[in-house]
Amino acid sequence: MSDPDATLRTALREAQSKMGGDQVPSFDSTWAAAERRVGAARKRRGVFATVLVAAAVAALAVGLLPVNDNALPYIDEDDLLGTTRWTAPSDSLLPKRQFDVYQDVPVLIESTETYGGALL
Amino acid sequence: MRDGDVLDKNPHVSRSALEAIHGQVFGWALSRCDYNPTVAEDLMQQAYVELLSGKARFDRQSSLKTFVFAVVQNLARSRYRRMASQLRLVQAVAANTFDETVQPEEPQENDSLWRAVQELPQRQRDIIELVFCRDMTIAEAATVMRVSTGTGRVHYDRAKKTLKTKLTENGARFDV
Repeated sequence: MSDPDATLRTALREAQSKMGGDQVPSFDSTWAAAERRVGAARKRRGVFATVLVAAAVAALAVGLLPVNDNALPYIDEDDLLGTTRWTAPSDSLLPKRQFDVYQDVPVLIESTETYGGALL
Repeated sequence: MRDGDVLDKNPHVSRSALEAIHGQVFGWALSRCDYNPTVAEDLMQQAYVELLSGKARFDRQSSLKTFVFAVVQNLARSRYRRMASQLRLVQAVAANTFDETVQPEEPQENDSLWRAVQELPQRQRDIIELVFCRDMTIAEAATVMRVSTGTGRVHYDRAKKTLKTKLTENGARFDV
């Protein structure tokens, strides 16, 4: 680099130091702050990961729980029908009930009146 | 590099090596945020966080200094993108609410050379700072700026020509 460059370099550095470039914060404090930020971020990620894992485990546990066969046994249709009985309200009119309204056909009274030569 | 201070997530980076370039990195961070020391320190912390967590992984393709400068540069860009988008949102929502526009603080020290450098286009300003204030070669500066060495050289030459013109107009003594 030529001498004018060296002059420019010196002048620029002086100008910049006046702008605060020489007031460098200590490396240790900056580094410690950075480490704290990394630690905090790691902690946040840890909490998030723990919650995520817990949710995943819970979902898996619910999904993979064995189905209790005793709780929901298979029921054969015939067996099921054998266990039930339904009685209609009109069953009381059936012969087994000793009251059959249909046993005798009612006889209507014959008419004696005629009309045009025929009984009404 | 001492064995004990190598970073877990970045085996080619040591704490002592970072400490050695801390001052220079801070200067670079400072210039990325309009010389606001609080923001610059925050940028430094973020850069160290990136290195500690292994998000920014140094693989020896450049010098450590170049790498860390590039990390700071990227973080500063991301920060300003976020700020710009927030600002656009605020302006869109409350265009008529604010009577006064917040202006960035102007540097108090405004000698002719510094003013001339600050008036350069961004890329030219960056390469001048990296080469003259941070002792980088044009190739290293180009790596930090994510441009090719040829492009970096063009920015460097143009910056020097522009500086020379401006300083001559102002009657300054620097013969760049």
